[in-house]
Amino acid sequence: MDDREYEQLLQYAKQFSGVTEDMENTLQGLYERVKPHMAEVTDSFYTVLLDIPKAEPFLIDRLDALKETHNRWMESVFSGPFELDYVKAMYRVGDVHVKAELPVEFMAGSMALITTRLHQLLGTIFKDEPEKLIESVSAVNSILGFTLMVMQQSYESSRLAEELEKFLKITGMSRTLFDNLASAYKE
Amino acid sequence: MREDMLASILSDLNGSSADIEASAVISTDGLIMASLLPANLDEDRVGAMSAAMLSLGDRTASELTRGSLEMVLIKGSQGYVVMTHAGEEAVVSVQAKSTAKLGLVFLDIKRAAEAISKVI
Ligand code: HEM
Repeated sequence: MDDREYEQLLQYAKQFSGVTEDMENTLQGLYERVKPHMAEVTDSFYTVLLDIPKAEPFLIDRLDALKETHNRWMESVFSGPFELDYVKAMYRVGDVHVKAELPVEFMAGSMALITTRLHQLLGTIFKDEPEKLIESVSAVNSILGFTLMVMQQSYESSRLAEELEKFLKITGMSRTLFDNLASAYKE
Repeated sequence: MREDMLASILSDLNGSSADIEASAVISTDGLIMASLLPANLDEDRVGAMSAAMLSLGDRTASELTRGSLEMVLIKGSQGYVVMTHAGEEAVVSVQAKSTAKLGLVFLDIKRAAEAISKVI
């Protein structure tokens, strides 16, 4: 992906998820309140994952390292800015998971788990401030949806790349011939 | 220089029979090296499509145990497209009328392909 494509993905994901500057401010404002609980959220996330037979083999031997990585990522969720660098970083994280051969549904499944846990946490933090609760729940939903879209995009392009490789192998076409064919039919 | 020689071979080929309407020499990567095509045809598309068809033809011939590929023939209601290798690096693609006498067209194409392979 070049910078122009990352920029397009950034705008596209923003349109869907509704990430705005206000939401970025809301998330940054939550950082100090959420930080003391991040390790709990992470622990509980991995406890559920370890109970999923398909997920468990990816986790043993590296659980502590993954928890640390996960905590760092969660800090970035409550820091921003959600611009090109964040998109690039999350696209790369998606790529790392593709290379580790994690099934794509793990991404959406994980986001659902994390969303639930963060909602529960926000519910306790803002139990007497319903407006703040709604505002922070919306911001969390937006940024997690945004992140998921970006991560899944790496899965999509890597799946397409794999299929193209297969197609080229079967047909005997070279990559250059395929590129020439594609560019001859560019609108 | 080489382009001129290829153009002259194509010109001879098109002139050899009134059945042949257009022809092109294409690299195996699908780029046009020389062509005598009607204005309504896009050179890039003819080039890439012909090379792709020939590549698929190569695969089909060997998968279906037909030996090495000699040519790919496409018959449409408006005429024929015939493609063949011209040496290792190039493809000749010819368009002929629907009424064409194929035996003669094949011979002309074969002769042109040999001449092209000597130039490339
Ligand atoms: C919301 C979901 C997830 C997020 C945000 C996330 C985040 C991350 C991050 C930031 C990295 C480090 C990437 C790097 O090297 O820079 C990573 C690596 C990794 N993650 Fe995740 N992860 C998620 C879900 C999962 C799940 C569900 C599993 C397994 C069941 C998993 C397994 C791994 C593994 C095995 C690596 C290390 C790959 C390697 O270094 O070879 N992740 N993840």
